[in-house]
Amino acid sequence: MASTACFMIVSRNDIPIYEAEVGSAAKREDAAQLHQFILHAALDVVQDLAWTTSAMFLKGIDRFNDMVVSVYILLNPLYLPGSRITSSHFDTKVRALARKYI
Amino acid sequence: MDPTTTPLGRMLLDEITPVVMVLRTPLVEEACAKNGLSFIQMLSPFCSFNNIDVPVRTSSDQPYRLQKFKLRLFYESDIRQPNLEVAKDRLRKVITHAGEKDDSELSLDPPPLSNILAGSGLDIRPSWFEFVNKELINTVAFSDHEAFDHPVACLLVVSSKDEQPINKFVDLFNSNKLPSLLNDGAMDPKILKHYLLVHDNQDDPSEKATHLLTDMRNTFGSNDCKLLCINSSREGQMEHQDSPWSLYISDSSPGEHLGHFLNIDDINEIKDLMQEISTKQIIPYMEQKVRVLNQQISATRKGFRNQIKNLWWRKGKDETADSPSGPTYTFSSNESQIRILGDYAFMLRDYELALSNYRLISTDYKLDKAWKRYAGVQEMMGLAYFMLDQSRKDAEYCMENAFNTYLKIGAAGQQNATRCGLWWIEMLKTRDQYKEAATVYFRICNEEPLHSAVMLEQASYCYLLSQPPMLHKYGFHLVLSGDLYRKCDQIKHAIRTYRSATSVYKGTTWSYIKDHVHFHIGQWYGILGMYDVAVKHMLEVLACTHQSKTTQELFLRDFLQIVQNTGKMFEVLGLQLPVIKTSSLKVIYEDHRTYASATAASVTESFWHSLEEDIVPSLPASRTNWLEVQSKLLPKLYKESNICVAGEAIKVDIEFENPLKIPISISGVSLVCEHSASLDAVKLNFCDNDADANDPTEPLEDVDKKLGETSSSISQFTCSEVNLSLGGGQSNLVQLSVTPKIEGILNIVGVRWKLSRSVVGLYNFDGNVKKKSSKGRRKTKVSSDGDLKFVVIKSLPKLEGLISALPEKLYAGNLRHLVLELKNQSEISVKNLKIKVSQPRFLSVGRQEDLNVDIPSSLEKKGNIEQKGVSTNQKNVSQGVFHFPEDVSIQAGAPFSWPLWFRAAVPGNFSLHTVIYYEMGDASSGMKYRTLRMHYNLQVLPSVDVSFRIGPCPSRLHDFLVRMDIVNKTSSESFQLNQLSSVGHQWEISLLQPVETIFPSQCLIPGQALSCFFMLKSCQKSLATEENLSSGSALPGHDVRLFSESSNAVLFDISCSPLADFHACERLQNGMSIQDASDKVDFILISRQLKGESEHGISEPPHLFSHHACHCSTARTSPISWVIDGPRLRQHDFSSSFCEINLRMTIYNSSHSIASVTMNSIDSAAENGESSDTSAVISGSQAGWYDVSPVDGIKVTSDGLGRTGDPVSPESVSPFIWCSSSSVMRQLEPMSSTEVPLKICVFSPGTYDLSNYVLNWNIRPINSSQEDSYKRHSSGRSPGYPYYVTVLQSD
Repeated sequence: MASTACFMIVSRNDIPIYEAEVGSAAKREDAAQLHQFILHAALDVVQDLAWTTSAMFLKGIDRFNDMVVSVYILLNPLYLPGSRITSSHFDTKVRALARKYI
Repeated sequence: MDPTTTPLGRMLLDEITPVVMVLRTPLVEEACAKNGLSFIQMLSPFCSFNNIDVPVRTSSDQPYRLQKFKLRLFYESDIRQPNLEVAKDRLRKVITHAGEKDDSELSLDPPPLSNILAGSGLDIRPSWFEFVNKELINTVAFSDHEAFDHPVACLLVVSSKDEQPINKFVDLFNSNKLPSLLNDGAMDPKILKHYLLVHDNQDDPSEKATHLLTDMRNTFGSNDCKLLCINSSREGQMEHQDSPWSLYISDSSPGEHLGHFLNIDDINEIKDLMQEISTKQIIPYMEQKVRVLNQQISATRKGFRNQIKNLWWRKGKDETADSPSGPTYTFSSNESQIRILGDYAFMLRDYELALSNYRLISTDYKLDKAWKRYAGVQEMMGLAYFMLDQSRKDAEYCMENAFNTYLKIGAAGQQNATRCGLWWIEMLKTRDQYKEAATVYFRICNEEPLHSAVMLEQASYCYLLSQPPMLHKYGFHLVLSGDLYRKCDQIKHAIRTYRSATSVYKGTTWSYIKDHVHFHIGQWYGILGMYDVAVKHMLEVLACTHQSKTTQELFLRDFLQIVQNTGKMFEVLGLQLPVIKTSSLKVIYEDHRTYASATAASVTESFWHSLEEDIVPSLPASRTNWLEVQSKLLPKLYKESNICVAGEAIKVDIEFENPLKIPISISGVSLVCEHSASLDAVKLNFCDNDADANDPTEPLEDVDKKLGETSSSISQFTCSEVNLSLGGGQSNLVQLSVTPKIEGILNIVGVRWKLSRSVVGLYNFDGNVKKKSSKGRRKTKVSSDGDLKFVVIKSLPKLEGLISALPEKLYAGNLRHLVLELKNQSEISVKNLKIKVSQPRFLSVGRQEDLNVDIPSSLEKKGNIEQKGVSTNQKNVSQGVFHFPEDVSIQAGAPFSWPLWFRAAVPGNFSLHTVIYYEMGDASSGMKYRTLRMHYNLQVLPSVDVSFRIGPCPSRLHDFLVRMDIVNKTSSESFQLNQLSSVGHQWEISLLQPVETIFPSQCLIPGQALSCFFMLKSCQKSLATEENLSSGSALPGHDVRLFSESSNAVLFDISCSPLADFHACERLQNGMSIQDASDKVDFILISRQLKGESEHGISEPPHLFSHHACHCSTARTSPISWVIDGPRLRQHDFSSSFCEINLRMTIYNSSHSIASVTMNSIDSAAENGESSDTSAVISGSQAGWYDVSPVDGIKVTSDGLGRTGDPVSPESVSPFIWCSSSSVMRQLEPMSSTEVPLKICVFSPGTYDLSNYVLNWNIRPINSSQEDSYKRHSSGRSPGYPYYVTVLQSD
């Protein structure tokens, strides 16, 4: 089944530091912006939920039509707030994993 | 909380009230129309009662009092399900109207989010939502599955003017115009009737009407008939303060006075009439009905037995009727009766009774699969729960159940679902469950885009109002809503939602979101013709690097389209397209320092500064500069500013980068400058600029003004304009220039450009530039705001210069004749020229008469060597600075040429820097002098590699053998060797073999290596050397011809100007002072390129190459050398005596110091072994010799050639003894020799090696300066070397 997915890493203050459009479905022109909107909107839910649970994986916390948002809440003590992830190696790995599992 | 005071409660008390069907004759309407009202309109303000205080008794015996009550009046024609299309159309009109109405704020910036959050939040919701929601609820009015919209009573109205009013009453009800609800069995046609006679007091006196009323009472019964007299005011001038109708008739024009024929008596009469109908007719009727139905239902359905029976019965029925819409129920069916009971109870506020009946019927409908009815009942249950204010959970469960059930039945339930959802939402809102309310709004959305848009917008406000506010969701739903509004052409609504969304997404780094919002809102503003705002939003999306190429194209195209539509030129401060790389900003300007080329300007200032140190006049005081003369007159600001000269361009290098994937075209790139004549004006302008910088969107009018000035006739400066087009991702370095025309102060403010010929972009350097590399600056303490500020001084002469025909690439050793060309454009002449070259090895300044000479013919040796012009320019050169003759001055326009000699000294890449200093002919000018800086890059390729090895001639003390190793390192060029010259009087060089033997081919082909030997003879006399060296300048030499006699080549004179000069440089380069050179020899090899390089198709004479090897040492391993002289063969008769042999040792001191030498002879055989250590001693001293740094590229090795004798075989050693004293000590003057007589005694015939002696020497330095150079040689021990003597037995 063709699927579409978007993977993003968002740092403090809702700043996206990494994004990747993954999934096997043919790319639609407006997919990227829709995904951003959905993920951005889901942050409200994440912000509420993050303090009520100790779980790091929040599965399906928000949805829009047939798209489901799942979140991992992680913390990197070495991260410099505001900086973007630009490593091409990381990007390649993310996409490879996406191909494998999605 | 009292549920009746909540919005939902009020809504229900308003909406779920008894309906009265009104049947009337046209004449009734006619009478009412005089007041601008319809009959119902006239009555409706008096249909709701807030304080009627009626006792009601329903199921229980205990009556309760009803305070509020309302009747809903409808004409019979309106009692039917509204046409969906008409309803939708009306909704659309309402929404469009709402959009048109409040567009005042459309172009304003949205209020900041914090303001919205701080306020109650309710005020930001458009008021028309309520109206739209009410309309939506009304679309499902009068459905057959709900009883609360079914008329409770019928009001028959006939005018007193009607013919036969009694018959009319009968006709009205019997006409087939009655609503279908009554006819198709959905409700009981036997309905409570009330008869009303309307009398218009304007037409007739009321006697006739009262008469008719009596007739009516006789016919229809006395209680059910009423008379209403209206229009009592004859003048029609009644003014009603806060007219009761204005609330009900929204579309009345403001000037119209409603009810102007109705006086206060009429109104009171209407009031009384309605109250009487309510309290005396309708409420008692409903009470009665509730009681009857309740009894009936209790009998049939209440109790365990009835339940079982009912269940049983329904199971059986299940199999028969299974239509998709569920079974049909007539009004008389048990189910309908229960429903009516429930609804009546609800309307009479007996919610407990209503709820119990709804519950009862709910299971029935569910079993019957009558889903719509089931959902309707569930809905009412939810509302009843709510009104009872108990079990919120149940209320919500019922609402959700109803909602889902309505959705489940598809399109037929859609409208009901909407209504149910809206009620549910109100319920949730009452309990502050905004988040849940928002999700319900989202679920109400259907295929109808406009409907969905309104719902989504309402959802977004719910997210905003939830605690804590869910701003992300707020923004998202606003955008979703806006998109749908746009889909149904509600652009103003679309803009409104997006405008609110921009406040959420302000400054967001979510690139796609930002682009989407700004692009669309910009586009829509464009559609509305609000181009200014549109452009503002479009600007936000221009630098969309992350978007695809097509999107970027779309963005840019739409942006330009909108800009074109505005019909004016936009000036945008901080336009994102293209990106200006501030780090690339470089300012090049010329004050007293001028540059011949751009590359010269890019050389670091410190380098030029060090080069100029010797030629620029020294500064009189420590902290002053060359501006000293003026600085006394000029204010401090001037001193701290950069200086430039009127008429000379200031160049600014800026890099423009196109961040997009599509090409963009930029035109008219120019600097924005300010010019002011006085200091005060500048200060003022700076302040203005700071103010401007605060608001980046504001167009810069004052810049406009300044630019306007430039185009006017009194232009103070001119700016260059550059056009460029940047491909996708490309960046370009652009050089812009501004040329001040008159004196004053020039400030470079920023840069402006035109994007696609339609938008002007501006970029201010001020404040943006902190870190920049301004190459032309010398002062480091300049304050940052002064970096781009220039004091313009009066126009000055400026020299332009170049070195013509300087090749960029050439072979090492190549000697060329070049011309320095200088030009002065100014009227004022310049004088006192000086020149300094960074690499004197490469470039030397010639003499004026050399200007037109020819290389190589000018260098040829002329018959007798006349000492013509040997280094004549030496006197002009001091510390590497060449002073042009005093009389040289460069006049305006006249070209000036001066010869230069060029020699590619060593291979590699080199930068050649030249500084020309000149003074102004006019003393009054602002600057006394200027410098011209020239810079050239060269690539020198290796050509011929020459190395020399010199060794002492073993047989003669003052002769040396020279081996020259020569390799052609080029890949394609052949060289013809011309001559080898030794420099200096003290050396004579000669070939060991004839030239033809060495070079049969006469040339050196690429890659060829060759060695040849020369004999070097030292003919120095100690005193002569001193004399020669002291004169210093002359370069006499001795040449060896390396070409055959037959060729027509000639020898070159190495003592003439360029060769001698360059040789001196080479010597200097090796860091040896001339005085040290007594035992050093310099060689110059001159060769010619065999084929003339044919550049530009012209065959040039073969290039001349000179290779200089300096300071080739002739020194031995030690400063002491000696030769043993004596017989080699002797015949002696050993029978008579032993043989004595006399020998002579000549010791030579080649050092400059006095040496004391001790010669020790060793007799014992045991000590003989020491001689085998010689190699170690030699290598040790060799290492010391090698420390003297070799000449670049030319390796010179001096080796003890005489030391290569075979080791003496032990067998041949037979005893002999030294006869003379075993130790002889001598003092040797510098450069002198002495003789020591030696004698050995041989006792038997044989061959003897006389190497068993040691020379110990000790040098006493004359002065301390020489101590260093001879440190290692200050003392030493040299073992003897073999000298064989053969003694034969004579007969």
